[in-house]
Amino acid sequence: MISTFESVPAAAAPPALEAHGLVKTFGPIRAVDGVDLALDPGRIYGLLGPNGSGKTTLIRLLVGLARPTSGAASVLGRRVPSREMLARIGYMPQADGIYPELSVWENIRFFAGLYGSFDRERLLETLRVVELDDRVGTPVLQLSGGMRRRLSLACALVHRPPIVVLDEPTVGIDPALRVQFWAHFRSLSAAGATLLVSSHVMDEADRCDELLFIRAGRVIARGSGVELRRRAGTNDLEEAFLHFANGGTGGVA
Amino acid sequence: MSPRRVAALVRRIVAQFRRDRRTLALIFLVPIVISALLGWVLRDQQVTPVRLGIVNEAGPVGQRIADAVIAARGTSSARGSSPVDVPSATIDRAQARADLENDDLDVVLVIPPDVLTGLASGGGVHLVVMTQGANAPTEGGQVAQVQQYLARALASAVPGSPGPVQVDHETVFGTPNADPFDALSPFFIGFFVYFLVFILTGISFLRERIGGTLERLLATPVTKGEIVLGYTLGFGIFATLQVVVLMAFTLMRVDVPAIGPLGAFSIGLAVPSLGDPVLAFLVALLLAIGAVSLGIFISTFARTEFQILQFIPVVIVPQGLLSGIFWRIETLPGPLQPIARVMPLTYAADGLREVMIQGRGLAASGVQLDLAVLTGIAALFVVLAAATIRREVA
Repeated sequence: MISTFESVPAAAAPPALEAHGLVKTFGPIRAVDGVDLALDPGRIYGLLGPNGSGKTTLIRLLVGLARPTSGAASVLGRRVPSREMLARIGYMPQADGIYPELSVWENIRFFAGLYGSFDRERLLETLRVVELDDRVGTPVLQLSGGMRRRLSLACALVHRPPIVVLDEPTVGIDPALRVQFWAHFRSLSAAGATLLVSSHVMDEADRCDELLFIRAGRVIARGSGVELRRRAGTNDLEEAFLHFANGGTGGVA
Repeated sequence: MSPRRVAALVRRIVAQFRRDRRTLALIFLVPIVISALLGWVLRDQQVTPVRLGIVNEAGPVGQRIADAVIAARGTSSARGSSPVDVPSATIDRAQARADLENDDLDVVLVIPPDVLTGLASGGGVHLVVMTQGANAPTEGGQVAQVQQYLARALASAVPGSPGPVQVDHETVFGTPNADPFDALSPFFIGFFVYFLVFILTGISFLRERIGGTLERLLATPVTKGEIVLGYTLGFGIFATLQVVVLMAFTLMRVDVPAIGPLGAFSIGLAVPSLGDPVLAFLVALLLAIGAVSLGIFISTFARTEFQILQFIPVVIVPQGLLSGIFWRIETLPGPLQPIARVMPLTYAADGLREVMIQGRGLAASGVQLDLAVLTGIAALFVVLAAATIRREVA
């Protein structure tokens, strides 16, 4: 699979994504309410929380698509917002964000062009990974919902970013495709990429190396799925979430 | 500024156009069809006689005048004006009112009892004309025709009186038989490119905003400047093609012969265009560049495509009305004049007319002013457009 990701040296490497006292308010609403975190390179992180808990806002702050009201975020040790760091992030928004009237190839070539990395073979390989290489000429309008999701993912990966941030990538896709997606995320991670995947589906969580529970704009618990269950004293991740959401102990290690 | 990223944007916009046949038809065929239609309407107008009724309230003297007017029927009229028809002998006022009301007559000539009393004190003949009063421009034209007709009729009725004055018309530019369509043609080039580029960019950019592609665009290293430039170049290609096609259409006079019941008319400018087409093209293109950014800017204030269309009466129609083509800016009401003078279409209309009809070149101060103002407005819109593309990054 993809093997040419920029490798990040393990020793003394800065965190892939980092936040200090991150706050974002929209009028009276505190969408992100004081988040501190440091995510290590090469791992898969799951950002879990109910709808409206601030996942998308936190993601946009972390990659530098929005400016925090207070606090700071950095990518690979560099303060964001930074246009330069955007070139090292693959971002898949919640909406597909592709052009329905254009073909698969025209879409992926366009985004590759914006990253300044047009390489025909590499684009075809990216399409092969999401199994769209036999559909290059098909207009997006004629693709199924799942295929559009796959194209959207491919468009986020055209430039082989060391950091991949996916906002609810598996919403509305069937179980078979979901399994494929996670297998692919794992191979990206094996190749050295750091992934941050948001979801409100708890059963996806165990596929991540580490989970961040988020509620009302705050990270209420962090750890692996096994750990969090143990600390909450339950076998069910949803119950664990409720445990921490209700102020239970043992949240942030 | 990365040429590569701008090129990616341009290529994408061209690909979107190529896949959208209906929009392509819109930008090339619609302006041609509409100007051909307008040319036809303005140049193949049906000649309908003015139906004149006569009311005599001045006894035998009036009857002599009435007879002379009726006798003048069928005499040749001046070029371009329709003949006058007097369907019946004299009628009374009540009948005249009823006939006007029922559209049986267009104009009624009343010969009042004091028709000649003014003559004694050195005045003229006193006559009254009545019309329905429902369509001032048409009735004004009909009254003017009746006046010409009366001048001829009375000249023959009163021996020794001077005949109608013959006036020959010469012009500095073009020919005396330039028609309203000649004045409109250059303006239309500007209007169509402005209108269509504005609408298409507005909708196109709105789709980026609501479809999530703008969010994704802004997650790449592309700059706001590159986005505006990419859009300007991409839409500029199509605006250029549109102006070239429309200019060729306007400059190449095509005479359409009479076919069966259809009268003959011509397409394009009837007067020879003296100006440099390249300069006229430049005026239209500067206008289009402003329209791209205006579309991007306006898309901020719309949530749906329908809301973009709602901006047509706000942004486009007033500019057309106040552009100086339909009413000279000096004749507009005072408060509207400054508004007309800050609208790009005003300068494009003026520039296109100066270049295409008056044959002025870059040396003319009027043309220089138009180009300078259009450049300034385009630059202002570019800044506004870039400001509305939100990203926290430079």
